[in-house]
Amino acid sequence: MKAVYIVKGLRTPCVKAGTQFKDIPAPFLATNLVRNLLDRAGIKNDEVDEVIFGNTGTPAKYPNIARVIALEAGLDLKTDSYSVHRNCASGLEALSQAYLKIASGRSQIVVAGGTENMSQMPLMFGEKLKEIFLGLAFSKTLGQRIQHILKLRLQHLKPVIALEQGLTDPFCNINMGMTAELLARRFGITRTEQDTVALTSHQRAVAATKAGFFKDEILPMPMGKKLEKLCAEDIGPRDNSSLEKLGKMKPYFDRKTGTVTVANACPITDGAAACLLVSEDVVEKYGLKPMAKIIDYHFHGNSPEQMGIAPLFAMEGVLARAGMKLSDMDLIELNEAFAAQVLACQKIAKNETLAKEIGLKGALGEIRDDILNVNGSGIALGHPVGATGTRIVVSLMHELKRRGKKYGMATLCIGGGQGGAMIIENLS
Amino acid sequence: MNFSTIGFKVEDERAYISLGENAEKSLTTFSEKSLLELKDIIVQVEQLAKEKKIKSMIVHSVKKDCFLAGMDVSVINSLDSFDRAQEGSKAGQDIFNRIEDLPIDTIACIDGVCVGGGLEFALSCRYIFVSDNPKTRLGLPEVKLGVLPGFGGTYRLPRRVGTPNALDLMLTGKMIKAQKAQRMGLADLVTGKECLLAAALNPQRFKKKKSFSQKLSSFVQHLGFVQKIIFNKAKEKVVETTKGFYPAPLKIIELMELNQKSFRKSSLLREAKSFAELSQTIQSKSLQNIFFIHDNAKKAFKDEVAPIERSAVLGAGTMGGGIAWLLAKNGEHPYMKDISEEGLNLGLQQAAKNFGAALKRKKITRDQFLRSMHSILPTLNYDGFKSVDMVVEAVVENMDVKKKVFAELESNVREDCIITSNTSSLSVGEMSTALQKPERFVGLHFFNPVHKMPLVEIITHEKTSLEATARLFQWVLKSNKVPVVVKDGPGFLVNRILLPFLNEASYLLHEGVDLNLIEEAALQFGMPMGPFRLMDEIGIDVVIKAGKILEDGLGKRVATCPLVHQLKDFGLLGKKDNKGFYIYDEKGKVLELNPLIKEKYRSRKTLDETTIQMRMILPMINEAARILDEGLVDSAATVDLALVFGIGFPPFRGGLLKYADREGLSRLTEVLVGFSQDIDELRFYPCDYLEKLSIEKKSFYSGN
Repeated sequence: MKAVYIVKGLRTPCVKAGTQFKDIPAPFLATNLVRNLLDRAGIKNDEVDEVIFGNTGTPAKYPNIARVIALEAGLDLKTDSYSVHRNCASGLEALSQAYLKIASGRSQIVVAGGTENMSQMPLMFGEKLKEIFLGLAFSKTLGQRIQHILKLRLQHLKPVIALEQGLTDPFCNINMGMTAELLARRFGITRTEQDTVALTSHQRAVAATKAGFFKDEILPMPMGKKLEKLCAEDIGPRDNSSLEKLGKMKPYFDRKTGTVTVANACPITDGAAACLLVSEDVVEKYGLKPMAKIIDYHFHGNSPEQMGIAPLFAMEGVLARAGMKLSDMDLIELNEAFAAQVLACQKIAKNETLAKEIGLKGALGEIRDDILNVNGSGIALGHPVGATGTRIVVSLMHELKRRGKKYGMATLCIGGGQGGAMIIENLS
Repeated sequence: MNFSTIGFKVEDERAYISLGENAEKSLTTFSEKSLLELKDIIVQVEQLAKEKKIKSMIVHSVKKDCFLAGMDVSVINSLDSFDRAQEGSKAGQDIFNRIEDLPIDTIACIDGVCVGGGLEFALSCRYIFVSDNPKTRLGLPEVKLGVLPGFGGTYRLPRRVGTPNALDLMLTGKMIKAQKAQRMGLADLVTGKECLLAAALNPQRFKKKKSFSQKLSSFVQHLGFVQKIIFNKAKEKVVETTKGFYPAPLKIIELMELNQKSFRKSSLLREAKSFAELSQTIQSKSLQNIFFIHDNAKKAFKDEVAPIERSAVLGAGTMGGGIAWLLAKNGEHPYMKDISEEGLNLGLQQAAKNFGAALKRKKITRDQFLRSMHSILPTLNYDGFKSVDMVVEAVVENMDVKKKVFAELESNVREDCIITSNTSSLSVGEMSTALQKPERFVGLHFFNPVHKMPLVEIITHEKTSLEATARLFQWVLKSNKVPVVVKDGPGFLVNRILLPFLNEASYLLHEGVDLNLIEEAALQFGMPMGPFRLMDEIGIDVVIKAGKILEDGLGKRVATCPLVHQLKDFGLLGKKDNKGFYIYDEKGKVLELNPLIKEKYRSRKTLDETTIQMRMILPMINEAARILDEGLVDSAATVDLALVFGIGFPPFRGGLLKYADREGLSRLTEVLVGFSQDIDELRFYPCDYLEKLSIEKKSFYSGN
């Protein structure tokens, strides 16, 4: 396998859904990122081998979103481009694809990333209404038409919310929030513990923003319907959050006895992230100074109901592949889909009994608070589903650089019962 | 038989006439010779049809993206008398009548440009098939040359598409696309260009039956009183937009009104007569002059140069945003850099405003809006600048700041990147000293607002390389703007000529001439705006600043009139401040003359209109003569081009110097001498070059 380098990664601000990015279709969140990455490296439009993007909403208008991004960014028509879907880890899957392509020598220059506009997830009509419309379209006589129209009932007009459907597991018919409830119950995670994670996430994100830690990774983007104002910072982190306020929120998924609230879960978010990945030859040819090197990645499945602890399996897998220990990691990004799920991971990782109980070979070691999600994560910044996998690698890369540390791991849980993890080495 | 410009063959009982054979130019035009050839061919077709040897005649072009671009403008230009023009018109009419009278199916297969005589040719055919090629454009632009369609267009077009559509096409001279042509009933079929000839084999299949609504609207249009309303409305609109300076549109309306119920013969007689009359007007000759100098100017740099594909603008703001809009419209994925986020927002606002206006007018779709806006890359640093081929600097007009910016910029771009400054007044030569490679540095003066003003001054200094100039020149053309190359000097070209005009208007007001009288005189001359409205538009402070630069460089004779300084002292800055010579409302509409101006500058004397006009125009001519003498531009034509596209100098005058030539330089010089004796020697005394030309009885256009 050949070495794979990340020259640079960039992301848009993560913006709460339904606000400033709501009128920007998903591909357009990513075009500027691609343009900037290539321009900075001095790579020309016809020199890119592949553009790979993760996206889960798959807007009906853009079935292969990566192709749209490549062309809108002005890349040569010959550029191979495809989209990948691995739910919450689509962005990480895109990076993994790029890694495999370059490591195997098939490609030299790949732009990989993820983009998601959750604001634009559609409302749909049910099958019954569709049948009536189809019948109308195929009817030949007025009588037939009237027959079809007479079938119409008010209830047919009730929309199906695509977002809600997407967040419910089709295999076990459990909402994602409920999977977090299940973990909280099984591993005895309290409401206060969860709210503390949420508070820390907000505090860290606000502090990092204020200190300008994100300046290097965020590319300001025009926002609003008219696109006439720049958005340069994440819209989501709150500086007025407190345990008291968080404690007042009502449980959302298990409304009576639950502990998971919308405030200790990640909000619905719009955003995109992208990385430029190249081979060693390209680094030499263009005289590039890559920020990081990908050590390896791993994906692993578990039960859909317990998808929140799947990162542990992925971590175990990638550490084994890399021949490393958890304690070798200087920083860890474990996306906060739910505070309960992050806490469960932390609890199990250091506990041999629990680890074996869920099916790990043994305890991984401690996931220390002081190296975990140091600038906030999903709860504060949000979780633009298809983009997060790339977003956490981009943030990890920049924080490793800022701290002058060597190894970092980015990992996340995936709706449907999977976990993904990637280890990178800081080169800057 | 072998024809040189038109091909003719008979195949499978069909006569094929192919245009654009052996033509070197990218657009095929008709010369007198090709008209004669066409006539010979049509006579043969008539014979073949009579003998029933053919069942149809198919006209098509072998030239890529061009069916026929009408008569060569130089042919129209060569019609030096009424009689010749009338004969020419009749000769063309005769050929197209013969085509119309053929007893067989005649089909025009149009792919690419089809304008003027080309469209009149097609109109004489029974069927018009049009390709959906985006390059396909149909229109009758004769009005833009001050004439009208003289080969039967005024007779045939309204009969095919109805009076309102015909008026719209002929009065505006606009080009329409295939789909529009089909909607208005001009095209019987729109299809791929590869399918045209096959469709022509069996044309009846595509004859469109008129729909009920088309029949109804045609019936209504032919009602007498409706006709009257249509023509009156058209007349009103023409008078409003042309202010009566252009005879051609009015003539077109008059002709069509007379012809609507006449038969072909008398209609065409009238058309030929009107065409001949118009062709001899000064307005037409003037418009032709503008056409020629514009056309010639495009050929200034012939050598192939590397195109500018990626670009950047430095300094966002309103001007920078306007430039970013242009770069984005060109598909250059431009970087827009500023030192603050507020600056970037201003720039984005301007670009969004321009693209938004196009979106509102349905010129672009929401998708195109998104694409264009997202192609602008706002940034606070130089990341990515290594990828750009050209940078336009548009930071504040301050020499020290600009120099600092250039020094910083140069270390962040490639060696072959062209660096330009959008300065309106600062010395390009001095700015170039801030660069290590001054040969890549050029001034690039856009006029505000960028999306409306077509002119761009390309300002070279001593060290500018020819390659940089040529690359920029081609780039300006690509941007659908009009480039003029000017050597560095105070005020460059346009501002140096414009300021004496504004200054002299101010002196007139200062002397006690009524402000309205002065404005009216300028408007009557054909200027798009009176001098005081214009100064408000530019900004009084800007006028003073530009005047200072002229004075510093050229001496006292161009010193700004004290009245303008007084205005500034009163705190009147012009439109941007809602008050200058006029008072403006929030939206920038004129409310009234500023009462303060009315009070301070009471009307004390009257002057006749011509004298006022001469007072304002002659100093411009004098200054232009100096510019030519100093060799800042290559020809009088360049001056005229710049003024028409830069300040809207009335096109029907043919340009400032064309106008001067026509009036006679000796006479104008005499008037100037008179002014210099009566009013101010410094301001009016004719320059040496003007005196020399007038003594030698030469004109500007023949002067060098």
